[in-house]
Amino acid sequence: MKVFEFMTTRLESVDSRKSVYDAVEKMVDRRIRSLLVRFPGDDLQDGVITARDIVYKVLAQGKDPQAVQVSEIASRPISCVSKDLPLREAAQLMEEDGVARLFACDGNRIVGVLSMMDAMAAMLILRARGEHVS
Amino acid sequence: MFLKKLIGHEDREKEVIRDMDSHLRLLQDGCKAFHEAIERNDHARMRRVKELEREADTIRRDIVSHIYEGAFLPYLRPELSKFVELVDQVFDLLEYASACYLEIRFPDSLRSEAARVAFLNQEMCGMLRLTLQATTAGEDLREKRLAIRIYEKRIDDLKFGLMHDAKAIPVEDFWEGKTLSDFLSRLSSVSDVIEDASDHLGIISSIIK
Repeated sequence: MKVFEFMTTRLESVDSRKSVYDAVEKMVDRRIRSLLVRFPGDDLQDGVITARDIVYKVLAQGKDPQAVQVSEIASRPISCVSKDLPLREAAQLMEEDGVARLFACDGNRIVGVLSMMDAMAAMLILRARGEHVS
Repeated sequence: MFLKKLIGHEDREKEVIRDMDSHLRLLQDGCKAFHEAIERNDHARMRRVKELEREADTIRRDIVSHIYEGAFLPYLRPELSKFVELVDQVFDLLEYASACYLEIRFPDSLRSEAARVAFLNQEMCGMLRLTLQATTAGEDLREKRLAIRIYEKRIDDLKFGLMHDAKAIPVEDFWEGKTLSDFLSRLSSVSDVIEDASDHLGIISSIIK
């Protein structure tokens, strides 16, 4: 099984110049834990902002999320892998890099995102097929 | 070992199980043809779905008649028949969706998501077939049934996105809009019925234990 088979292709994003509060509203409305942060230039210049970033770097610090720009707390560069990468390798990369999501790229274009939940779901399917390594 | 527990004419049971597996294999082929047809906008491939549905109907009739001619114990017969009918329902949904697809000019903006749902339906069918094989082997179904529920939830996530995007598609008249809506509705319902079929295998497995 490859990354492209289980990644999410609908990418929610926020412009890097928007406020953290704008990002929060989008994450709450869409019930998602992270957003792609669009910076000028090609997709590989983009970053990511997560609920963890917002809590640790803004809210827990007592900062006003309306006064902080997304660009100030986004993580860059994003972890990008080939959409044809085998899923098991993608999961190992997540563990090695300590990330909860990988962005799948086709050349310079981001085509999807594989989250920890996606990786877990895919591996459970591999187990059900009897394709896991015992 | 599973068949020995049921008491009866083993050859008849084996034939039914073989036919049920063939029925599911045809369903997998149907889903594959459907997926490829959407992905490539291949009308000939889409027409193949109807041909496969007709073949599957023949197998279904054979299965049901063999069941009620004496294969398996009486208390199992309605459950096995119900499973076969659920598989048939999936085929009916595919057939109707394929007819809708052939009636309209399918919007390219929906193609990739629709193809993705169709691909996941195909994978679900494969898993359902593995689940049937595990049921007849007397194996634990838990992991396979979870895999099917995982697929169904992923399709649910995609389905709402598709419906949202479909609202932005301009249509020439009521019938074009209705036919597109019917297509999307059938496409999204396939996974629900496959999940029901998987749940029913769980019931069959419990009855036998």
